[in-house]
Amino acid sequence: MTLGAPAALWGLCAVPLLVALYLLRVRRREHPVSSILLWQRSAPTPAASRPTRRIERSVLLALQVLAAGALVVGLARPAIVGRGAGAQALLLVLDPSLSMRARDVVPTRFDRARAEALQAVGSLRPGQRAAVILAAPHPVVLAPLSGDRGRLRAALAAARPWDAPGDVAGAAVLAAQLAPAGDARIVVWTDGSHGPLPALPRVVYRIVGTSDDNVGITALRVVRDPQRAEALVRVENFAGSARRVPLEVRRAGTPIYRVTLALGGGESRAVAIPLALEPGAPAGPELLEARIAVPDALPEDNEAVALLDPAPLPSVLLVGPGNPYIERVLRLLPVARAARTQTVDVSTWRTFGVVILDRVDPGPLPPGNYLLIGTVPPNLPVGASGILARPTIATWDRTDPVLQFVDLDDVRIDRALALGPSGGRVLVEGQGPLLWEYTGRGIRALVLAFALQDSDLPLHVAFPVLMANSLAWLGGAAGEVPVGEAVQVPAGGEPEAALLFPGGRRLRLRATDGMFVLPPLERAGVYRLTAPSLDRRFVATIGGSHAGAIRPGAAPLPHAPSGAAAAPSEGLLTEVPLWPWLLLGAVAAAVGEWALATRRHGGEA
Amino acid sequence: MTPALDREPTPPRTLFDPAFLQKLEQLSLISRRRVRGWQRGERRSTVQGRGIEFDDYRAYQPGDDYRYIDWNIVSRLDRLFVKLFSEEEDLDVHLLVDASLSMAEGTPTKLALAARLAAAIGYIGLVNLDRVSVAAFTSAPGPRLGRLRGRGRAFDLLEFLAQLAPSGETNLALSIRRHLASARGRGLLVLFSDLLDPHGYEEGLLLARRYRYQTFLVHILADDELAPRLAGDLRLVDVETHAAVEITADAEALRAYAGARDAYLRGVERFCFRHGIDYLRTASSVPAEDLVLRYLRQGGLLR
Repeated sequence: MTLGAPAALWGLCAVPLLVALYLLRVRRREHPVSSILLWQRSAPTPAASRPTRRIERSVLLALQVLAAGALVVGLARPAIVGRGAGAQALLLVLDPSLSMRARDVVPTRFDRARAEALQAVGSLRPGQRAAVILAAPHPVVLAPLSGDRGRLRAALAAARPWDAPGDVAGAAVLAAQLAPAGDARIVVWTDGSHGPLPALPRVVYRIVGTSDDNVGITALRVVRDPQRAEALVRVENFAGSARRVPLEVRRAGTPIYRVTLALGGGESRAVAIPLALEPGAPAGPELLEARIAVPDALPEDNEAVALLDPAPLPSVLLVGPGNPYIERVLRLLPVARAARTQTVDVSTWRTFGVVILDRVDPGPLPPGNYLLIGTVPPNLPVGASGILARPTIATWDRTDPVLQFVDLDDVRIDRALALGPSGGRVLVEGQGPLLWEYTGRGIRALVLAFALQDSDLPLHVAFPVLMANSLAWLGGAAGEVPVGEAVQVPAGGEPEAALLFPGGRRLRLRATDGMFVLPPLERAGVYRLTAPSLDRRFVATIGGSHAGAIRPGAAPLPHAPSGAAAAPSEGLLTEVPLWPWLLLGAVAAAVGEWALATRRHGGEA
Repeated sequence: MTPALDREPTPPRTLFDPAFLQKLEQLSLISRRRVRGWQRGERRSTVQGRGIEFDDYRAYQPGDDYRYIDWNIVSRLDRLFVKLFSEEEDLDVHLLVDASLSMAEGTPTKLALAARLAAAIGYIGLVNLDRVSVAAFTSAPGPRLGRLRGRGRAFDLLEFLAQLAPSGETNLALSIRRHLASARGRGLLVLFSDLLDPHGYEEGLLLARRYRYQTFLVHILADDELAPRLAGDLRLVDVETHAAVEITADAEALRAYAGARDAYLRGVERFCFRHGIDYLRTASSVPAEDLVLRYLRQGGLLR
């Protein structure tokens, strides 16, 4: 059994309302009798004077409840998932989004989805094959098409939900690419809480989840400058009803702030908490924790952590013909190490946290952190289609960490590359993108569309600030990364390191090409990478400000007729929709109630 | 018999079929006391006279008819005795039918059953040359048909009863008083009523006893009055008085009603027993034929 629009089940609240209306004794029904003599002589019962009446065996009430219940359940679009015959391939897609950890379905939405997928695997017939795909932020195939039930079950058992929104659409497309032509069906288990689901051929969605009851911390960030620091906490109520949310912030385990927020339905609130900077504070990172004490369906986002100490600026390699502005700034900024080279030798880059490529053609970039100035590599989703003459800066994103305290007014640019990005974020824009940010494929990059010599930016105060912010963000693997992102840390000559997970699990990592490549971070929290000469902490944050939205969405209407009307050969699983029968039953019950009420001459209705 | 009396009446189809009427002709009304009639009939009178049924002897007195001297006794005792014979006179049968609005209850209605029973008893009376009076009573004077005699008036009786329609309120005492005040002969009073009279039934029945009528009470109740089929919150409205009572018809209320009903019926039974009133209680759903041929015979009204 599956529900196409489980949110409609909220309509079942109308049933108690019906009963409550029935209980209210609005008006007594007049009933003529031959004589009230004997009724007057019988002792009055307490029920006769009660303001409400008891629920009795009322056919009308039963029919009303039946009609309302059938209507609501019908609107939830239930369907029976049955086993079809004939299809040879079944692609099972599981959505591991954070919202799938919600407990409105017992034990969780993800566990329910996995149980249904295991049931589907159990019903495979000899000769039929199935595959398991996890709709993680980067969809992965957990088990390719196979008839080996044990392997499929093991893949499903190993699947874990993530603390980030998954890419359901991408996983469905991936499944469609894996599916053999014609004779296949793709079943996607998701809650559809992160936007509309694409209607694709051969794709059937099973929507799990019934509630939107969640309040979560969507951001915890420390903002600091040399004089002061403050913590920014954002709490959002994803539910439709108002909640009172007690918030507590701890610094190194000590409570420093408590407040109770009154949040309306769908409302969010940001709280700024000043933090004292103590010069004599002990060395080492301090942990800032925020916690809300509110019972909801998704407790995973009720806590957040951040590192109070600034991430140390990384070691920097400048690759290019030479740039006195950059070299001077690198001498001033507290970078771990700075070096310069004119030759493009990728093998030398791995020991540096950030590589600045200044007007050189680097070729395909290996995973790493890059500041690209006046150049575009071939393996990023951005291209240069020409030269912009005298572009002016129109807007820039002052909220982005890279542009914090950066004032680009009066900056003149003589010429710049005409960038054409697909993806990433444009941070500074004029006649075209002038500063573009990208994270993905193991690469974190900032692309400045113009050479410093082609502008007066190095002469502005904004330049050293921009450089400091850029290096801090590019080297931010030690500070904050969203869950699901690939993290690589320069090995610094260490052959081996230990990765400590938030739950206490420890994993030994071997350096590959001078880099420690961390496994995908599935959980939010503080991670620590240690080696004899290395101690890096970084925080994995819940990806996306809407990751805590758990309101189940609706499955798109089938791309092709399915269910009872579909041919059995369309898939291993068939969906028999029940809602037409339920709506028919609701209409029949309503008509029956009306007929009965009319026949009773204005009876109980 | 005159040809007119021999004419078989054709009763209204709504009351009885001819076969049932033939069965009724085999029956007669029982009068537990001798009655004083007006004409010769087929039952013993309180007046000893010229009947054919021997009753007693008495000493001859001057002026007695010589034909009634029992000469056998004269020969044996040498004294003159005359034979006394019971006068066979007719019986005054008064049929009082409650036609108030409450009698419209039931399936068939209580009034319909009362009319059929009255028709049967009246027909038996007419066949046996009794004088039959029938009246419908409510709080207001109702229609009446007085002192019918002979089989030939059966049609009038049945037509009268078939046309009865419920109206008005019940006032048993007033109705009986009004009827008896205008009645000429004492005899058998058969009362058909549901006794659902807010003024009480006792005064009316005692009045009939005081006038020395042999009283037979047929108490008719509808099935819904014996066992109400009600549910929910109701405002019960009396069809006669339009008074109302609010109830919640749950199991507890129905139990209380049953208690009140039983107490009321026991009270009626005790009252009738104490005052020598024959009493028969029936539901309106019981067929009239069964009541006439079985229960009224067992109850001592018919033989």
